[in-house]
Amino acid sequence: MLSHLVVGSALYFGDSLFYAICFLLLLWIVKVLAWKPVTKMMQDRADKISSDIDSAEKSRTEAAGLVEQRQTALNASRGEAQTIVQNAKTNGQQQRDQIMAQAQTDAQTLKANAQKDIAQEREDALAGARNDVADLSIEIASKIIQRELNADDQKALIDSYIEGLGKHHES
Amino acid sequence: MNDGPVSTFQFLGLTFSTANVVSGLVVFLLVVAIVFFTSRHLAMKPTKGQNFLEWLIEFTNGILKGSIPSNEVSGFGLYGFTLFLFLFLSNQLGLFIQLTFHNATIVRSPTSDPIVTLTFSLMTLMLAQFAGVQKLGYKKHFTNYLKPFVFWLPISIFEEFTNFLTLGLRIFGVIFSGEMLLKLIWGLATSHGIATMIVAVPIEMVWQGFSAFLGAIQAFVFVTLSSVYISQKLEVEE
Repeated sequence: MLSHLVVGSALYFGDSLFYAICFLLLLWIVKVLAWKPVTKMMQDRADKISSDIDSAEKSRTEAAGLVEQRQTALNASRGEAQTIVQNAKTNGQQQRDQIMAQAQTDAQTLKANAQKDIAQEREDALAGARNDVADLSIEIASKIIQRELNADDQKALIDSYIEGLGKHHES
Repeated sequence: MNDGPVSTFQFLGLTFSTANVVSGLVVFLLVVAIVFFTSRHLAMKPTKGQNFLEWLIEFTNGILKGSIPSNEVSGFGLYGFTLFLFLFLSNQLGLFIQLTFHNATIVRSPTSDPIVTLTFSLMTLMLAQFAGVQKLGYKKHFTNYLKPFVFWLPISIFEEFTNFLTLGLRIFGVIFSGEMLLKLIWGLATSHGIATMIVAVPIEMVWQGFSAFLGAIQAFVFVTLSSVYISQKLEVEE
């Protein structure tokens, strides 16, 4: 069984040479066929993955920046809207107050004018009446002086005057 | 079912063993075929074959990285990969195919012959020497033999010799004994007809599985130790 291990039988050292050459040839074939392209592909992939990770990191920070920007813009516009609404409210309030005050004063003025007119009117009427009474008294006095009168005459006279007064007033 | 007489032939004044030459060629072709068919459609997104090949390359590179500094690994990756594939297939070949022709074995595990394993062992140690000289220069490389002190020289030289022997004989021993036991169990199976066949075939199958496991382990160990021997030559001893 171990005959080929026994020194003295023909040792086949040619096999050593054969295997060495075969192995060197195999190294070369493997290198050309697979080793070079596959390791190159693996290297490429490693490079691609690392660059992908870098770019992902970059876009992530970019996105975060954008979100922050948008948030601040949103906050700013919200504040702006609030001030606008506030302004509109105060403006409306002011305007209303103004209009109310205006109306108040207008009404006041109108009322004062009307009262003044009424007072004037009454004054005028009183003055007219006073003049009439004066004239009437003078006329009556002159009539009494002109002739003596009996009771009937007197009555007729007074009636005629009163009639005349009514006519006078009517006219 | 014992070993037939070793059939040899003479060529250019050297003696060759037919079994070794034929089995060596078979393994050679197997390696080429595997490497060829798994590396056809290389793409950034690997498919089946490429996945397998890349996994294998990562695996052998991982073995080398265990002992060689990572910036030096790229120079030995191809050697480690090819060595592992060749030894693994060599170890497995004899477990599944044993061809006998004119009463002489033609196809078996090439690694069940010490001449073959010692050839690989010698190749590794020569590569280690070469890498050491290339990295450190002749002076530093050979003064490493005088560390830690000058009288260490005989031990250093003896160590090279024992490394050569143990690296080659370890894998030979395991594969050779595995195949021998397979043959013995087969001899038992065919000795008394059906009765022994029923008993022996399951044992044969179990041993075959175990040998396949051992063959893988031995290929792994051989590449690991190769990387250790190479890494020893790459650094200046203190």
